[in-house]
Amino acid sequence: MTPALVCERLVKRYGDKTVVDRVGFHIDEGEAYGLLGPNGAGKTTTISMLVGLLRPDEGTVRVGGIDVGEDPVAAKRLIGYVPQEIALYPELTARENLRYFGRLYGLPRRELTSRIGEVLDLVGLTDRGDDKVGTYSGGMKRRTNIAVALLHRPRLLILDEPTVGVDPQSRVAILDRVEALVGEGMSLLYTSHYMEEVERVCTRVGIIDRGRVVADGTKRELVAELGGTDRVELTLDGDVTAAAEKLRAVEGVSESVVTGSSSIRLLVAGGRHLLPALLAAIGDAGAVTGVEVVEPDLEAAFLHLTGSTLRD
Amino acid sequence: MGKSTLRALLVVGGHELRSRLRDGTAPLIALVAPILLATLFGLALGGDDDPPLKATIGVVDLDGGEFPASVQREALNTDELKGVLTFRQYPDEAAARSAVDGGESGAALVFPAGFSEGVGAGRGGQVSVLESPESPLAGVVARSMVDRISALVQARTLAVRASLEAGVPADRVQLFVEENGAAGPALSLVGDPVSGGKVDLAVHYGAGMAVMFAFFVVGTTARSLLTERQNGTLDRMRAAPIPLWTALVGKSAVGFGLALLSMCATWLSSVLIFGASWGDPLGVFPLLLAHVFAATAIVMLVASRAKTDAQADGYTLGVAFVFAFLGGSIVPAYNLPEWLRGVSLITPNGWVSAGLSELAGTGAGPSAVLVPIAVVTGIGLVAGTVALLGFRKGRFA
Ligand SMILES: Nc1ncnc2c1ncn2[C@@H]1O[C@H](COP(=O)(O)OP(=O)(O)OP(=O)(O)O)[C@@H](O)[C@H]1O
Ligand SMILES: [Mg+2]
Repeated sequence: MTPALVCERLVKRYGDKTVVDRVGFHIDEGEAYGLLGPNGAGKTTTISMLVGLLRPDEGTVRVGGIDVGEDPVAAKRLIGYVPQEIALYPELTARENLRYFGRLYGLPRRELTSRIGEVLDLVGLTDRGDDKVGTYSGGMKRRTNIAVALLHRPRLLILDEPTVGVDPQSRVAILDRVEALVGEGMSLLYTSHYMEEVERVCTRVGIIDRGRVVADGTKRELVAELGGTDRVELTLDGDVTAAAEKLRAVEGVSESVVTGSSSIRLLVAGGRHLLPALLAAIGDAGAVTGVEVVEPDLEAAFLHLTGSTLRD
Repeated sequence: MGKSTLRALLVVGGHELRSRLRDGTAPLIALVAPILLATLFGLALGGDDDPPLKATIGVVDLDGGEFPASVQREALNTDELKGVLTFRQYPDEAAARSAVDGGESGAALVFPAGFSEGVGAGRGGQVSVLESPESPLAGVVARSMVDRISALVQARTLAVRASLEAGVPADRVQLFVEENGAAGPALSLVGDPVSGGKVDLAVHYGAGMAVMFAFFVVGTTARSLLTERQNGTLDRMRAAPIPLWTALVGKSAVGFGLALLSMCATWLSSVLIFGASWGDPLGVFPLLLAHVFAATAIVMLVASRAKTDAQADGYTLGVAFVFAFLGGSIVPAYNLPEWLRGVSLITPNGWVSAGLSELAGTGAGPSAVLVPIAVVTGIGLVAGTVALLGFRKGRFA
């Protein structure tokens, strides 16, 4: 079976800065693939090359077996692309926006009207479809942004952080729709700052850091790389920076990062047994108010591979 | 180009046109503003009390012979000068000078005493011209008449000398020469006197505004392209299964069409309101068409260097005004300093204005504007090519 997407050794440079450095991965037909990476890792730049908006300096992209560089029009027909920023005409209604882009994707007029009804229903905006997009809330704009990409029933859906600024309820609704579409056989490329979204929707994950894919596999495979390392979440009152510094020196601690004004995340080999040593190391830098030891998970794998947290 | 590409172009163009109509910029910038300004300028500066195409030329006839009289008769009968030229007689050069300085006559011709006799006898003669900078047209006509007269006088002098040398008796020479073809002064002033940019000011301002607003009209399209880039909708269009250039070309086509409509409407309004002809429509239309093409390409080129829509607006405004000024769209080129007149020919405006002078001023046919059309089209091709290359490198992306 032809993979939905294959990209190989993609390179993009701006001046002497290489922002995408030999990125390669593949997405099988019907598979949901997540691309995880901190801010500025090169996710959007990679996606721009996948959907034919940006010409790679090196490397190739094939969508459904079609080379994007050679036959961009045919390749783009297979892709539904949801840009990271809202890309809609604020002075038009959602229906008018959908009609315009639907026509650009070559949908015949007759079919278009009913299809617009379907996608509006899909994103839960049926009763607001005739209001100007400029009057929408952030979440409604996001949902319309997604609806546009679904009009032509793409084989591969590419979502670049589709849930930013969406309230938890709508986010769940969006994830449900996306899962349903994958269930119906659509392939998916998903980037997000929310680990739990990627964990829920995607079966395979690529981790990208400073322009490079540092790991790629199923959740289970990535976590296995951690070996016996546990994730420890500490809550404390006091100087978190100083505490994190002290913890880093403890034997068995491989990562120690500040995740909030009173929280620290650690990667610890043989977690539980090391707890007394950890508490002792903090000493007078702060008073520990909470400790949580978590089985190895994607969050831990991410920290292990990139030395940073996903959200900052 | 495939059917689906054509359809995509129509979708983009239709969308662009609808937004131009919806926000009201199209009717305002393409129709209301240029027609209004052309009309106001025409009314304020065209004026019908002293239409620039009328020339009064003073005559000081110290000769009293047959030559000055027939020169005036012939000039008045010349088709091109009928209704344009009036002669006014003055007793001496001083009177003519003060009439020219005072504006009563635009220029004056002085025939010295014994002029006819001198010419008849083969000695030649000198006619002098009095001019004033206020009436360039009269000066041009008068000088051109003198050129013709000198040519005639020279021919006549030669003929008389030749006859004398051939042995024709002196008292029969004049008759002999006239019988043998070098007859009285037959003036032909075809075209020449009024060529060189002196057209009715209503035509000048109408054309000037049309030419300048073509840039503004296309500018709104450039602006919308940049707005769409900022909105992200341009990327959405570029991600659609259509060639990348569809957005640029579809939108430019609308700018082109609206600018052409704008120019034609201003042309029509000028004809209807002032009754002023811009010349043979078969020459005018291709000239306007070429200009719209060049303006579209130039505006797209400068817009391709802009980062925001406000910047695109600024660039368009700058180019439109600088070109309008240099190209004589605002101030007639003949009122510009000499060195600027040459500069006007680097702008499409200058060539259109020169072409229209040719068409409106002399009534020449379409063939007279082939060079301006070719040059303006060439300017458009160069600018368009550079703009497209920039686009391929990822501008507008
Ligand atoms: N046009 C550009 N010119 C120069 N540098 C750029 C350009 N576009 C992106 N970059 C740089 O490339 C790097 C990757 O940017 P990109 O937008 O791909 O990151 P990202 O992973 O999508 O980040 P985020 O999670 O914040 O959306 C950044 O350092 C960015 O500054
Ligand atoms: Mg991004």
